[in-house]
Amino acid sequence: MSVTVNGMRSDDPLLQTYDAIVVGSGATGGWAAKRLSEAGLKVALLEAGRAVTPKEFTEHMPAYKLKYRDHSPEIVRTRPIQKECYACMEYNYEWFVNDLENPYSTPLDKPFTWQRLRVLGGRSLVWGRQSYRMSETDFKGASHDGYDVDWPISYADVAPYYDIVEKYVGISGASEGNEMLPDGQFLPPMKMSCGEALLRDRVKEKFGHTVTIGRVAILTQAHNGRLPCHYCGPCERGCTTFSYFSSPFTTVKDALASGNCTLITNAVVAHVNMDAAANKAAGVTYVDRLTHEVKEVKAKTVILCAQALESARILLNSSTREYPNGLANSSGALGHYLMDHVVGGGASGRLDTFRVLPNANEPARPNGIYVPRFRNTPKSGKHSRFIRGYGYQGGAEANFNFGAEGYGSIYKKAVKDGLYSIGLGAFGESLARWDNYVAIDPNLKDAWGIPALHVHMTHGDNETALMEDSAVAAAEMLEAAGAKDIRVRSSVEKPGMAIHEMGTARMGNDPKKFVLNSFNQTHDVKNLFVMDGASFVSTACQNPTLSFMAVTVRACDHLIDRFKRNDV
Amino acid sequence: MKRRELLRAGVVAGAVAAMRPPVAAAQSTQNATIPPPPESQLTPAGRGVDASNDLAAANWKPLFLNEHQNETLIVLSELIMPATDTPGAKEALVNRYIDLVLAAETPEKQREFLNSLSYLDSESIRRCNNTFRYLAREDQDGLLHAMVYPRIAGGWAGDNVIPNDPGHAHFEALKERIVMAYYSSQIGEKELGWDGAFAHGPYQGCDHPEGSHK
Repeated sequence: MSVTVNGMRSDDPLLQTYDAIVVGSGATGGWAAKRLSEAGLKVALLEAGRAVTPKEFTEHMPAYKLKYRDHSPEIVRTRPIQKECYACMEYNYEWFVNDLENPYSTPLDKPFTWQRLRVLGGRSLVWGRQSYRMSETDFKGASHDGYDVDWPISYADVAPYYDIVEKYVGISGASEGNEMLPDGQFLPPMKMSCGEALLRDRVKEKFGHTVTIGRVAILTQAHNGRLPCHYCGPCERGCTTFSYFSSPFTTVKDALASGNCTLITNAVVAHVNMDAAANKAAGVTYVDRLTHEVKEVKAKTVILCAQALESARILLNSSTREYPNGLANSSGALGHYLMDHVVGGGASGRLDTFRVLPNANEPARPNGIYVPRFRNTPKSGKHSRFIRGYGYQGGAEANFNFGAEGYGSIYKKAVKDGLYSIGLGAFGESLARWDNYVAIDPNLKDAWGIPALHVHMTHGDNETALMEDSAVAAAEMLEAAGAKDIRVRSSVEKPGMAIHEMGTARMGNDPKKFVLNSFNQTHDVKNLFVMDGASFVSTACQNPTLSFMAVTVRACDHLIDRFKRNDV
Repeated sequence: MKRRELLRAGVVAGAVAAMRPPVAAAQSTQNATIPPPPESQLTPAGRGVDASNDLAAANWKPLFLNEHQNETLIVLSELIMPATDTPGAKEALVNRYIDLVLAAETPEKQREFLNSLSYLDSESIRRCNNTFRYLAREDQDGLLHAMVYPRIAGGWAGDNVIPNDPGHAHFEALKERIVMAYYSSQIGEKELGWDGAFAHGPYQGCDHPEGSHK
């Protein structure tokens, strides 16, 4: 049975005609629900998964209390793909989709890993929390190097919405005045370890590059009714003090408190319904996750915040006589230009400078350091081998030396003596390409009978060159800090591994080339919106969730204006 | 230690206090509350199931290993993670945990483990004419040492390391399972300094004066 929460005085939420349906309750869907319902719009928030409760948070549970101590071979049977995500654990695997119920296909030689959650809050429950603004250079990439297109909006268009999101979410970080990584509204930064501070100083001296503490959606002081981080470590198992940002306990909670938002959980959206005569979206059809009953919700506008691939899937599954190749797809671009940051390059080593013994009782900072992009910047000039750039996440700390040689009492002591390790791992820009796309697989359906995706994506030569350069540059930085035993990695991991999917319904001014306009509205159907990463024209190299949220709030405010003008 | 305990007490009290207002607030401000999910849809950990004592049952019997394999594993694990001034693998019931995991593994992984374990016995028989668990301690050490450091004595340039030595690979595979089983046990967590609480308090970070990180 579908669990229904009703913010309005009605017995049946399906008899209402809402002002807006929001599909998906993650980082962007939560914001859309909050922003629209607080402005007085009647909103139905549809989530494919169940609700979540703080009682199931396990961040303080030691591994020995688990049957398999977080090494469960059983998880792999139902979640062989999800298990590739570090955050899918014996503690929380029920938040991740069951891969057997949620299939997708790829060409045999083009693997793609699609890691996702179906639960209230979606991936905001387990996200990496790194939160960075994109720069003007990122919004205008084509103007710098001639590749592809600029965004139809500029940094100045989004900056006020970054402010709004940051002030509400609570981002801890340090201002650096780096033009590639604009500063924002920060709570006090977390502290660097000694090794990180050393690296920061040496990299500045030798290369002139910025190394900053990670800007992260984790509170360092009480904020909007939530307590600061207590440094227990594993945020991805939930947080009983709500110190990291996740939508169920912030935006969704606010939306429900407004009295204008109806939450419908276990609603697996199959397609958007159209009023063909008026060329308008009329609502959505969903399948109840538990009963498999097919139901319909009606609304004046439909907003997809289901994640880049899933939003594209819903539109591709919503074909009509007027839109035979997918709803709002007169451009033919729907599903194309799929992107995900390229990862796999970097370096690690050992710092003998610090004699610090590791200890399981030490506070665990759920954050690292960040090196903003320093290649192909207005200051650096153009690199000869690749366009765009990459940033590093990294860290330095004392670790237990489980990899020590030998056995017996000597090994046991070596583990506790530990080693002070230091490392940097790159996230590189993924270029938009027509031949990276999702389409409906005509031979594959999910457990609810909804046609599933065929995902066709590879990283190209530019991504490979970025990772090769990132390995060498990282090794040079570690060497400058005095690291020993430096090992470089210059592999290109399979697409999907960064879990930063973007593209598939990009925004642009030309209706012949782009699915969305600059306010996330489909060119073809005026009351249909896509407000998640699908709208992104390019990926930049920064972790994208903060930008997803800012773009969503901007689009919502535009929609609210149109409601006020009665122009829907 | 005292400082940390105080911090932890403060943090834990804060955490408990914090759990109440948001939940209570959510319930009072809405006609609508987020409904609790059915227990059946939570992980055992999410339901608060505590499996720590499952392996300590008096009538414990292996699920996967036979008696000889189990006894061999007990002997081997205690050699690799011995009792010193802190408890070793035997007391941490490392063999029982490994047996539990093996019972849930794929046939391929089960076979790999048994191959590694029987390599120990075949080498013991070849060298000392007895299975591993019945060897004298010094012979067990001699065998393990040869697996850890596979070298051929001789030559004017000193010993030569044997590449891709099967004994070395078997040793590393067995060691990996034993080490993981030990350090993920309650005894192992304590060995790493854990004192029973997971709320840690402020992260101090680097307090060296600017530009003097030593």
